[in-house]
Amino acid sequence: MSFFAGFFLALWAGVKQIFKHRYTLRYPEQKLDIFMINNQKSGGYEFDAKKQVGTAGFKGRHILYMDKCTGCSLCAIACEGIADCIDMVKVDKSFVQNKKSQFPQIDYGRCVFCGFCVDACPFDCLFETPFYELATTDKRSLVYTPEMLNEYPQLKGEYVKFIPDKKSGAHHG
Amino acid sequence: MEVVDQEGRTLTFSIGPQHPGSGHFRLIVKVDGDFIVDVKPDPGYVHRGAEKMCEERTYIQNIPHLERPVIFDSSGILFPYVLAVEELLGVQAPPRAQYIRIIMAELNRIISHLYWLAIYGIFLGHSTMFMWPMGDRELFIDLAEAIGGTRVTFSYFVPGGVRNDLPPGFKERALKTFSYYEKRLEEYDKIFFSNPMFLKRTQGIGVLKREDAIRLGVTGPNLRASGISSDTRKDEPYSSYETIKWDIPVRKEGDCYARSMVRFQELFDSLNIMRQALDLIPEGSVKIPMRGQIKGKVGESFARTEAARGTMFYHIISDGATHPYRVKISVPSFRSLSAMPFLLKGNHLADMPAIYWGLDYWPVEADK
Ligand code: SF4
Ligand code: SF4
Repeated sequence: MSFFAGFFLALWAGVKQIFKHRYTLRYPEQKLDIFMINNQKSGGYEFDAKKQVGTAGFKGRHILYMDKCTGCSLCAIACEGIADCIDMVKVDKSFVQNKKSQFPQIDYGRCVFCGFCVDACPFDCLFETPFYELATTDKRSLVYTPEMLNEYPQLKGEYVKFIPDKKSGAHHG
Repeated sequence: MEVVDQEGRTLTFSIGPQHPGSGHFRLIVKVDGDFIVDVKPDPGYVHRGAEKMCEERTYIQNIPHLERPVIFDSSGILFPYVLAVEELLGVQAPPRAQYIRIIMAELNRIISHLYWLAIYGIFLGHSTMFMWPMGDRELFIDLAEAIGGTRVTFSYFVPGGVRNDLPPGFKERALKTFSYYEKRLEEYDKIFFSNPMFLKRTQGIGVLKREDAIRLGVTGPNLRASGISSDTRKDEPYSSYETIKWDIPVRKEGDCYARSMVRFQELFDSLNIMRQALDLIPEGSVKIPMRGQIKGKVGESFARTEAARGTMFYHIISDGATHPYRVKISVPSFRSLSAMPFLLKGNHLADMPAIYWGLDYWPVEADK
């Protein structure tokens, strides 16, 4: 192939893209649909303590089921050598299964979203949700108390899927 | 550091540690006019003591930490670790987990190679080649995210298998992406790999001959580009790689062009390997249930795998406690460091980016 033919082909390969779909996710308006087709309760990564195996899902903000958590602090121990971001804190509310009212509190300034705390929980009450928009201007507000973790995060906005289309190019929709 | 020598002939200056694209790494370069006469690599800016850290943490707690040095190839650096720990535990991952590991490792290889390709594009002044692989990388990050749950650091391999099964409908989704991407790779070839600009910048530049490659101990694609057919996946098959058929891409030239083409060919090969793995994958469990803390038996274990940049090797010594006694990691990037001064000497300064990034040297991996 001659020198100029090579240049022309390269240019043409680039120019052709003008006639294809746009390949950009317009993020705050559009969000990528990362939900799995699994029928999880949390929508994200879960772990079955009996079978000792997880269910595929996004590892985002945690959800804590306070009505099931016994305050055993195994999740905090699991996280100790990883990011050391779980603290057991006392909650002003009485629970039958949790006499001391000790619940995990997670510092998202440190969490790496590895999900090993989920694997450690023997009572299936700490899972992860597909919520990831935790950015804030105040570092202290990254500490999520048990009550905050107990609430399911609000998922807002338009969720789009990624479509790899051979003819018209990959796009979101 | 002296800047100009006594006769005023040569000039010494440092490139990095904030060099765009080089990562946290410094090259002390001595030039005579436009020619490089001496190079001293200065690694160590991002040394985190990954090996020492392993001694204080349990086998599971080590996993998120060990991924950090190579986040683009996070499964590549974990793979030999879990194999070595499994050897200490005397277990083997179930067959389904072995194939899932292959899929994840190859996805990571593609993610890592695409990142390399994007930066190589911008190093050679081809900004379209920066945009395309970075965008297409999302395809594979999406797939890996569907399995592993996060974008880059999946913490997905654990001793005894993998943490979760493939999500339903993964195969169809993956095959659709692969066939789209294969078409896309043809366009890569037109715009970049057959582009006369790329050929001019890389052909005959930084030639690493067969003997030198062996002497300097480079591994992975860099070694294969110097005419040596060596791939740990073939030489010492692990995790059911022996059931998969593909040809090792080998090139004789040993220059930057050969190193690029080997990596380009590996993108096709990884797609091919994943296709086969998705066909061969058996039903069954993905993990050996292990409760409580993992304790290795007293002894040593070794494991070697082929990560994106070459051979990744672990040596773990256990004294029977819940954490390892000693972990030694041998990373492929550190090996290409020895070839770097050898290749750079005598070349034009303008060829430095092509040679430097052509080796796919990743400072964080080398520093650990
Ligand atoms: S996801 Fe990992 S880092 Fe975050 S709280 Fe759980 S164990 Fe700690
Ligand atoms: S979340 Fe689970 S592991 Fe953590 S304290 Fe509650 S019951 Fe124990």
